[in-house]
Formats: sequence, structure tokens, C-alpha cells
Amino acid sequence: MPELSPCHHPLYQLRRTPFHARTSQLCLPHNWRRWGGCLAVGSYDLGLDREYWAIRNHAALIDISPLIKYEITGRDAARLLHRLTPRDIHKMQVGQVYYTGWCDDDGKLLDDGTVTRIGEQNFRLTAAEPQYRWLAMNAVGMQVQVTELTEQMAALSLQGPKSRTILNLACEQPVDALKYFRMAFNRIAGKAVSVSRTGYTGDLGYEIWMDAGDALVIWDALVAAGHDYGITPTGILAMDMARVEAGLFMLDVDYTPASHAWIPGQRSSPYEMGLGWTVNLDKQGYFVGRRALEREHREGSSWKLVGLEIDWEGLEREYAAVGMPPQVPASAVRGSIPVYAGPRQVGYASTSTWSPVLKKYVALVHLQQPFFAPGTKVEIEVTVEHHRRKSPATVVTLPFYDPEWKKK
Amino acid sequence: MPGLHPAGQLRPAIVKQLDLARHGLATSAADAAYVSALADGGSLQLVSSANDVATIAAIRRLSPRDAGRWPEFVGFMNRAAAFLDAAYSTTMPRLPKVELRADGLPLASLALKLRRMGGKDMFRVMRSLSMSAVEFTEEWFESEPLNAAIAGVAIHGVTLGSMSAGTGFTLIHNWLNRGGLAHRTAPGGPQGLTDALVKAVHANGGEIRTDADVAQILVEHQRVIGVRLASGEEIKASTVVSSADPRRTLLGLVGAPELPPEFVWQTQSIRMRGSVAKLFVQTDGRHGLPAGTVAIAPTLKYLERAYDSTKYGEMSQDPYLEVTTSGADVMIHFQFATYALRNADWGLMRPELEKRAIDTLTLHFPAFKGSIQSVQSITPVDLEQTWGLTEGDLNHGQLILDQIFFMRPLPGWSNHRTPIDGLYLCGSGLHGGGGISGTPGRNAARAVLRG
Repeated sequence: MPELSPCHHPLYQLRRTPFHARTSQLCLPHNWRRWGGCLAVGSYDLGLDREYWAIRNHAALIDISPLIKYEITGRDAARLLHRLTPRDIHKMQVGQVYYTGWCDDDGKLLDDGTVTRIGEQNFRLTAAEPQYRWLAMNAVGMQVQVTELTEQMAALSLQGPKSRTILNLACEQPVDALKYFRMAFNRIAGKAVSVSRTGYTGDLGYEIWMDAGDALVIWDALVAAGHDYGITPTGILAMDMARVEAGLFMLDVDYTPASHAWIPGQRSSPYEMGLGWTVNLDKQGYFVGRRALEREHREGSSWKLVGLEIDWEGLEREYAAVGMPPQVPASAVRGSIPVYAGPRQVGYASTSTWSPVLKKYVALVHLQQPFFAPGTKVEIEVTVEHHRRKSPATVVTLPFYDPEWKKK
Repeated sequence: MPGLHPAGQLRPAIVKQLDLARHGLATSAADAAYVSALADGGSLQLVSSANDVATIAAIRRLSPRDAGRWPEFVGFMNRAAAFLDAAYSTTMPRLPKVELRADGLPLASLALKLRRMGGKDMFRVMRSLSMSAVEFTEEWFESEPLNAAIAGVAIHGVTLGSMSAGTGFTLIHNWLNRGGLAHRTAPGGPQGLTDALVKAVHANGGEIRTDADVAQILVEHQRVIGVRLASGEEIKASTVVSSADPRRTLLGLVGAPELPPEFVWQTQSIRMRGSVAKLFVQTDGRHGLPAGTVAIAPTLKYLERAYDSTKYGEMSQDPYLEVTTSGADVMIHFQFATYALRNADWGLMRPELEKRAIDTLTLHFPAFKGSIQSVQSITPVDLEQTWGLTEGDLNHGQLILDQIFFMRPLPGWSNHRTPIDGLYLCGSGLHGGGGISGTPGRNAARAVLRG
């Protein structure tokens, strides 16, 4: 047996998710991406259309197991999350899910995720990045246990207008009564799961949390139940387009967590990221970043994340000048693009995408005060035949796409 | 039970500012004797003045060269202590953020003061701070008993050995607090100092409550609002000044949940690690110990070996002792009795502690054992539980180079303030602290007055 070279050492290899036996059979173009140290399917086809339209028209099945997950239990479990996040965790009901960011003491975002109140003294926290040290630092003097569940717990996201119908077929209990951002226990193929009405697409959708050992049985049961409704295994690239349409941002793409920032200017506050609604300054007691956030609330933010719709006629004009029809990217673009007001750069786009459902070219943009006001006319850089030009665009409120069935 | 410290003097400027002489504080005796018991059964008696004839004669018997250098050594130590005194009187800037308006003037005046004290000395003092007691003393003297006697004062009260870096600094620190090698006991002892301070507080309209354990410092929106006593009584206050050690004040009395996580982590990281035990022995008076400060510090290696045991969670087999007497009462300072014993606890080790202290002292003063009538001992765990000293650390945080000056009690928090508005720290864990000097208290008072 030849000796393994260092790069084949298990430590250097991306982990496989509990669904790998299924996803790897289906991932025909071998379009793998790296997500949280795992192999994640980028797309199951060479193009994204089929998977994107599954999200918007019927049902997409997405392996989201690489999400970092923690179980937080004990007498002070609520107290720890109340201190960690700017949301009022003490007001949370059992079965409720909160989306939230959390900050350092300068009020700058470290990460974002969901908090689920599983029981009175039992919470689940998801994160994009490992947070164990930060949780432990915040738990000093509290009676609380933090357990990482990332590898023990598998998760699937079922997103799209038909997701409820499919779940009703697959689950022991119907999910009709499950409200937006609520969680309930259920069973699929006889296996215990928890189902939350959450997602990263801005459509009707659910996330299904299960023991890693039950992953394949549950995958098979969902695929079987969803067959007649067009259930489609979907990769993270189609989800990336959908999440921009939904106005949802991504760590390290749309903001730099304070713990990764090289310079102070790279950091972002929840207010700057449009998460002001999650900052509850009326809540009782200290929480990390409270003073800084109070100050920012008082004095106003100098930046804000907003939506930008690129004006189609303007784009057409730029391309027409060289004798071409307008070109749009085939998937979401994770790259900084300058945004101008007259000659002056006033911000940048961090993710931009063609929105097939809206038939619009849209972007998540960070704009300086006062240019973030909805309706403001700005210009965004477009590269037309290797030349940098500017195309007119309009600031809009997020999300770009908000179907009525999302919360119904 | 007598106090933990055999002696204690506030800085002369503080005595004057508080007008303590008027409130009955006696002045300390000058030129106290420091007696080092030697391995051969003899002893070396030192008075820390440049021209003490008996001291120079005693050193000459060990080395004529060393006797010649003694006056220069004493002069240097006094100047080095004066440097430190000047630094201690200046509130340190909150590095890395120096606020020119608040910190600039005091720092500039400190720099000027140090410069006036002499550029050549300043360089030598800076160099001495990071040296070990062995390196430092061997640069001055060739006689082992003399070097070891001095090194005993360098490691006194700290969890460091004679070969540890930074014991040059602790030597100067202890020299400053004692006014030399020996403790200078004033008539009335440390109790006299407490009495005078109490009178000064009363004379200024203050009230002191004893038997009033503070159970919690009350905080609302990161601002102090008062304290809650163990009895349940609440006292409202917009300013609270704590002389308890920083870790006990912040993590114990305020509580980590009220404080920013990075700050909590830093506070947890303060190295405490007490390794001092104390014994109070009542004798029939025939203990045979000389007056003054008696040290069992026969060789430099003896001190290092005594320290070695702390690394392994053990109590020194042959401890470094410092002994003072008051009539028939003998007070023994025992080093090293590590707070964190391995595979043992202080409940069971107490008899062994007493045995080792008595046997070691009896080895040098044979009459001692027979004169004993009663023994009372204080272990590091007693210091923590009864005196509230975290890990039994008398200095409220080890006196090591990364925990002094602008890094005491924490980097960035050297101005007596805390993340809780209105809560100030004033104890030994602050710049100038370790030992009785009054300096951290005076600096804290200034910070409170500045608001």
C-alpha cells in the first residue's frame, strides 16, 4: 500500500455530508463546492435553470448539513443567548425560531444564524462559522452546556411552493398549522425529525433536522413523496440566486465578520446590514455590543445594505453602443462592483444576479448615507466588451422577491 | 489573630496628605536589621544604609570586595526605588490608546522626573527590571550568602524563584515598600496604621462599616447603582470603589454576565497563583530568634529549589522563610506553599506545613521548637476563603513583568476604571500594588475625583 501524501491526510480532506451516498450519485457534472469544511453540491446539472425553477415553481431539496449547529441547554440557556444576540430571547416561545446576527462589543457582526427554542431550557443555534470559543467566553458564570451538533445532525432544506404538500405526504403529522419561523417535532419514515418553517430562498419552505444516521432513509422518503410534485435535488448555486432575490446576505460574501476583518473599516453592524429590526434596545440587561449599538442607533449609520435594480434600458444602451444585446451573468456573482453617484463612488455591490423570476438584473449593494434611501438614482459599473461603463440603477427596499405564499 | 503583614508603611507623601501623624500614626524606626541565617549556623546581619559600620564589617568577613561595593549598592537601590515610586505615582496610560489630554501631562512629567534622576541610572534600572535576582546580585557581589540574603527579598511574596526573570523588578518593588531589606516596624505595627486611617476617615465625616460583607455589586445598564450586603441590605451608590482583587471584584461581585466577553477573558487570564502561607507561633519567649527581619535564605540555589516545588504542585521541602518577632510572638512567612496542590489538599497538608516551617527554623535556631506553646497557620486556601484573596494571592495578581505598569490589572484598563461606569478598582491588583504603600488607593482617588 503506497504511503498517503500529506494532502490526502483526513485532516486536509473535505468531509462528506450524511447525504453523500445520494448526492454524489446525482451530481453528474461533479460541480462540488466547499462549505464549512464539507463537500457541497454546487449544481446537479451543468446549468442552474432546472434547480432554480424548482425553488420558485415546485420544490427543491437542498442538503444544508454543513451548517454549524449547537445545542444550548441548562438553567441559563436563554440567558446566554439573550446576552449573545441583540434579540430579546426571554420573550421567545417554545417552538419559535428567531433569525439574528450577533456582534462583538464594538457592535460589529461576528456571524448570523437562527435560534430555535426547542424547550424552556433547550435551544438550537445555527451559524456560518464555528462559534464554540465565543459561546464559551460568553457563558462564563452561567449554568449552561454548549454542545456542537454539526456532524451528528443532518439537515435538508425543502423549498418551493409545493414543499408543504410534499411534507404533508412524507410526515406523520401534517405541517399545515406550522407558521412562518416556527418549529415542530414530526416523523418521516418512522424517524424523529424537527421541522422548521425557515429557509434561505424567500419562498415557502421548510428545514428538516434529523439524526445523521437517519439521513438516507429520510432523503429517500422525501424524494418518493415529492416525485409527483417535481421534487428536485438542488445545489447551493441555484440557492445563491434565490437568496439574493430574497434579500438575504451571506457571511464573507456580503459582509466581513469582525473576527476576519483586516482593518476596522471592513466590519459591519447589524444596522448597516439592514438588521436593525433584530436589535432590541428595549430589552433587559447587558448584551454584547449594546453600548455601541445604542450609540449607532442614536447617531445613525453611515452605511446600509439595500437592493439595487439595474435599469434595463440603460444596460441595453451600453451594449448597443458596441453592437451587442445585453449580457447578464448565468449565476450569482460574488464580487465587488463599484456604485457611483455622478463621478463619486458611493458604495459597492457585493452579490449581483440575474433574477429569472423577476426578469431583472439585481444586486445587494452597500451604500453610504444618504444614497441608501429607496428611489435614489445611482450608477453601477458594467464591463461591456472589456470596457468599464456605467449603467443607471435604482435603490429599492429588500427583498426583491416576496411571494404571498412565503408567510401564508 | 494578628494581621497578615508584619509591617506596613504608606508612602510619606500619602501620610502627609492624609495628615496621619495628627491621627496618631507613629513614624517607623529607621535602619532595621535584616538577619540572614547561614548554612554553617552563623548569620549575616545587614542594615540597609550606605555607611553602617557593622554591616560593612560583616560583609568584609565574607569578601572585602563586596564590602567596598555595599555603599554604592545601597545608593543605587534607593535611586531605583525612587524611580519606581515616581512611576507608581503616575496613572498609567491605557495602551494602546493613549489619550493625550488625560495621560500626556502626567507621563511627560514622569519622563522629566526620571530624566532629572539621572540618565545613566535610568538605563541601569530598566535593565535590572527584567533580570533575575541571581543575575542582578552576582553583578554586584561575589559572596553567595550576601547574594542569597538579597535574593530572598526579591522573591518575597511572589511565585518566582531566584533564577526567574523579573525578580530584579520585584527586589526593587519590595525595597521601595520596606525602605530597604528589612521590614521597618513602627510602634503599634500595622494595627497602628489602620487605627490612624480610621481616625482620618471619621475626622473627614466618613463612616466605616465592618462585618458588612459585600455579596454583590449592583449594576444596571453597565453602570453601578450600589452594593448588596450578605445580609441582604442594599446600599445605593453612584460610585463604588473596590479594594478586593480585580478577579473577585469583576467576576465574583459584578459577575461575568454583566461584562463584555473579551474583558471577561482577560480578567480570567490574570495570573494569581498564591504560594505563601503564614504561621503565628506563640512561644514562652525563649525562642532564641534575633530582633528584626530574619530570613532563611542561605544560598541562591536553596531559593530556586524552594520555588521549584510550585511547578509540580508541591510544598517546598526546604522552604524560604522570613520571620519577625514581637516579644514572645513569632510570625513566619512560608514560601512556597502553592495554592494548587497536586494530589493533595490544604485540609490534610496543614500539619505538614507547620512541621516543615518549625523544623526549618529550628535547624537554624535550635531553641525555637522547645519554646512553642501554640501554632496557628494560614494556608493559601484560608487566604482565599477567609480573606477573599483569589488563589491566595496576597498581591491580587502576580508581580510579573507582563502584569505591571500599564498592564496592571489588565492591558487597556490601567486607569482604575472598569467597563461598569462608576465602578473603580483601588487595591493591590492595580499599578503600584503588591504590598502596603497606599499608592493604588491614592491613584484611584484621583481617578474618582476626575470623574
